This record gives sequence, C-alpha cells and structure tokens, in this order.
Amino acid sequence: MRKTTFLGVVPLLAPVQLLLLVVVILPSIYVVWLSFHVSSFGQAPEFTGWSNYLRVLSDPAFRGAMWNTVVIVVVAVHLEMLMALGMALLFNSGIPFRRILLVAVLAPYAVSEVVAVAMWRFLFDLDIGPITLLMQGLGLPVLEWSYDPVDATVMIVLLTIWMHLPFTFVILYAARLAMPSDLYEAARIDGATRLQCFWRVTLPLMGPAILVALLFRYIFAFRMFSEVWLLTGGGPARSTEVVAVYLYQEAFSYNAFGTASATALLMVAASLVLASGYIWLLRRQVKNAR
Amino acid sequence: MRAETVLIRLGKAVAVVAILFWSLFPIVFIVSSSLKPGQDIFAVPPQWTFQPTTQHYVTLWTQWGVFFQGLANSAIVTVGATLLAVIASTCAGYVFSRHAARWLELSIVGLIAVRLIPPIVVTLPLFPIVNRLGLADTHLVLIILYATFFVSLGTVLMRTFIDQIPRDLDEAAAIDGASRLTILRRVIVPLAAPGILAVAVFVVVFAWNEFLFAFIFTGTNAKTAPLVISEMIGSIDGVDWGVLFAASTVQLAPVLIFVILMNRYLVAGLTAGATKG
Repeated sequence: MRKTTFLGVVPLLAPVQLLLLVVVILPSIYVVWLSFHVSSFGQAPEFTGWSNYLRVLSDPAFRGAMWNTVVIVVVAVHLEMLMALGMALLFNSGIPFRRILLVAVLAPYAVSEVVAVAMWRFLFDLDIGPITLLMQGLGLPVLEWSYDPVDATVMIVLLTIWMHLPFTFVILYAARLAMPSDLYEAARIDGATRLQCFWRVTLPLMGPAILVALLFRYIFAFRMFSEVWLLTGGGPARSTEVVAVYLYQEAFSYNAFGTASATALLMVAASLVLASGYIWLLRRQVKNAR
Repeated sequence: MRAETVLIRLGKAVAVVAILFWSLFPIVFIVSSSLKPGQDIFAVPPQWTFQPTTQHYVTLWTQWGVFFQGLANSAIVTVGATLLAVIASTCAGYVFSRHAARWLELSIVGLIAVRLIPPIVVTLPLFPIVNRLGLADTHLVLIILYATFFVSLGTVLMRTFIDQIPRDLDEAAAIDGASRLTILRRVIVPLAAPGILAVAVFVVVFAWNEFLFAFIFTGTNAKTAPLVISEMIGSIDGVDWGVLFAASTVQLAPVLIFVILMNRYLVAGLTAGATKG
C-alpha cells in the first residue's frame, strides 16, 4: 500500500472539496453572517443582532409557512412510508412479472417537478380535469384546490408522494430482500402467526432501513419548493406557502436578504430537530420491541 | 384453504393493478393526450380511442422555438454536470477507499454533513456573486451547481463501489510502477463502471429535470426546458393544454427511457446511497 501523504492524495480530492467549499460551505457561512445583518442591494450591511430572527418568528406568514411545511411533511412522509412498506411486502410475497413491475414503480422518478405539476393541474382541473369529472360522476367531493387551502394542501401531498414513492419503495424493498428467510421458518416452527411474524420479525429487522428512509424524506421534504411554487404559487393569499417559498419571496420578491437568511437557518434547524427527535423516538421503540 | 388462496391471489392482483394505475396513469395520460386532436383532450368521459394527430407537436415546433433551445440548453448542462460530478466523485471516492487517515475521516463526515444544507439556502449569497462575476444566465453556473449537489453522494457511492475491488489489483499495478492516476484510469475505472453509472443516473435525472436553480440563475440564454414548460403552465392567456402535453412528452421521454434502461444502476445507487451515506 502506498503511503498516505497529504500531497499525494490532495490533487484527487481537490475537485470535490473545491466545489463544496465554493458553492456550499463558504456561502453557508456567509448566510449565517447575513442573518445577523440588515442589507439590501446598494446599501452597506449593518449589524442587528437577533432582530432578523425575531422579525421572521413574529411574522404570521412565516408561522403559517412553517405550519404548512410541518403538516405536509408529516402527512406525506408517513403515508408514503405506509404505501412503500405495503408494496415492498407485496413484491416480496411472490408476484409475477416482478422486474417489469419494479420498473413501472420507478417511472415517476424520471418525471420532473414541472411535468408532474402539469399532469396534476390537468387531472384535477376544476372544469375539465378527468379526475374531477370522475369524482363528480361518482357523487364524491371534488378538490377545489385553486381556492380552498386545505384541498390545495391535499393536492401538494398527493403530488409529493407520487414523486418520491419510488425512492422510499426501493430502500424498503432492498431491505426486505436482504432479510434471511430462515428467520421466518424458525418463527413458523415456533407457531407464530402471520401477524406475529410481521410485528416480531419483519418490522424490527426492517427498522434501520425504515429509519434511514424516514430521515432522508424528512430532510428532503422540508426543502420542498418547486411543487408548491408551480402548483399554487403559495396562494390563495399565501395560505399554502411552505418555508422554502417564504424564503424565496423574502429574498427575491422583497429583497430582504437578512430575514431570508434567518429563515434559511431556521429551516435547516427545524428540519434537523423534527427529523432527529422523531428518529430518536422510533429507534427507542424499535429497541424495545426486540 | 383453497378458497383462501384464491382470495389472496385476487387481493394481490387488485393491489398490483392499483400500483400500476397509480404509477403509470399520469404518465400514460399526458403522453396519449399529446396525440389527441384539440377537442378530444377535453372530451367527457376521456376518450381512449381517437385519431392520433401530431398537430400539437407541429404547433410546438413552429411557435415554441424557445422550447427547443431550452432542450439544447438542458442537454449541454446535463452532460457537463454529469461529467464533472462523475470525474470529481471517482477521484475522491478512490482516495477515501484506499487511504485511511484521521483528517480523511473528518473530511468524509464533512461530506455527509454538507448534504443537510438545502440548495435554496446557497442561492441567497450566490445570487449577487454570480451576477457580479457575469456568470448569471450561463451554462457554466448550472453545471457547477448541479455537479456540486451530487459530488457528496457521488463520492460516498464511489467509495462503496471501489471498496469491492480487491486491493491486490492496484498493489500489483503499483509494483509495476504505475502512478496513482494510471491505476485509477486503468484499473479502478473499468472495474467501478457500475458505480460510475449509478452516480451518472442520479446526476442526469437531477440536471435534466431541475427547476429551482434554473429559475433563479437563468433568464434567456441558458434557460432550460423545465423552465420553458413552467412558463407554458403559467401563461396568462390560458393554458394551451395540447402544446403543454407535447412539450412535457418531449421533455420526459428521453429521461424516462434512460431510467428504464438504467434501472439496475438506479436501484443499486439508491440502496448503497441510503445505507452508506
């Protein structure tokens, strides 16, 4: 083995480190600095302590956006997890054409947010949307998403689940495939029912994969921007705004980079707190179940 | 017992059909609607038999030249970002796989931590800087941004894949006098091809479809296809659904075919990325 010398390996590491330093790390540090200053274009920044944070936290629009984000993340991520878990178990239970079905389930991964929004806007269009018409035909309530905030939120949840189900499914399915089958034989011999097998064998063993998938989805769903921006624009009357949309508005519509930076840091903090707290709870439960 | 198995089979069949419907219906619907004559798009109930027409594609071609320019921009940016991300990640992944040192461990923890920072956060400071450097509305800025947001995952993935290549191979090459770069090119890259493809799938799909960065950093010259489609959705004088569907189909088709062909590498990448990174 060649000796690890700093000069020997640095040239190979440099491209990755340079990109991250210039595009992510230095700008992030600058965001922290900005969040403690008041600045807009053509004006010298001025130190203001915590006032940007206080202003953001006391802004009803921010609170609304944070609430919407948490609701969308919690509802969408868990529904998605249940669907993915069900599908992973179904796939594993022996169904024909598994490879082709797998590819079909992956298909939404290739669809851009923009195209997905175009699909959703048409399928649920209030005058001509096929799904709206179908619901009307069946006498079911339609999603009045262009003016009802709750219905709009339902649309966003559906859309985000549709787009990210392939990811969650693949993680869980791979975890299920990796489980040794002799465990089930042992459980059967001991007289365990199907349900007992699920609660005592499947779920605890898939626990780590479920935690990882949840963590990823929590963190990524918290950043949601394009789906909401393109579907509702945050409207009607800012009622469906999520944190990333609020941040965008602050920075690029109102030129308030100080409060936008404070929003950015609050967003990162909130997603970490939500994810880690939740994962911590789950992990304890998984341990207790064993 | 027999009745129960029949019931279970039936239940599974229903579930499979529901999954297929959920995953494919929106896609099939948009593609088939792009081929429907104008009035049939809005037919109630939706028409499944119709005389296919290319009229929307003709309109797209004659009136939306900007869309095809957008596709060209998307292609340039996607190829550029993929090459940059793959080369950078392979080099770094090789070092992390073959060398161990305290500062290297710290640096890989840093790599993973960087992924916690949302892309929209860095747009705030980068926006004025990119403008001042005259990089706004160029392909280069998107190439750098797209590649950067995947080099972290890419490096971790490449390390995982390169770990599976026996070290004896590069040691043998080293004894023969090969330099580190030669080993990387001649020994590692050919054997790590599945990993390289897995990283490439991620970057291609992301760069081809990305909206936020393109929305903030490009205007006319480097405007990508998703941005043009978003303008079609938001056009004030009513949406021309037929043309929108045609554009969506054209934007979607290449990346969908790519994902279908590369599904093995996508699955390998997703699983390795989630468990190791």
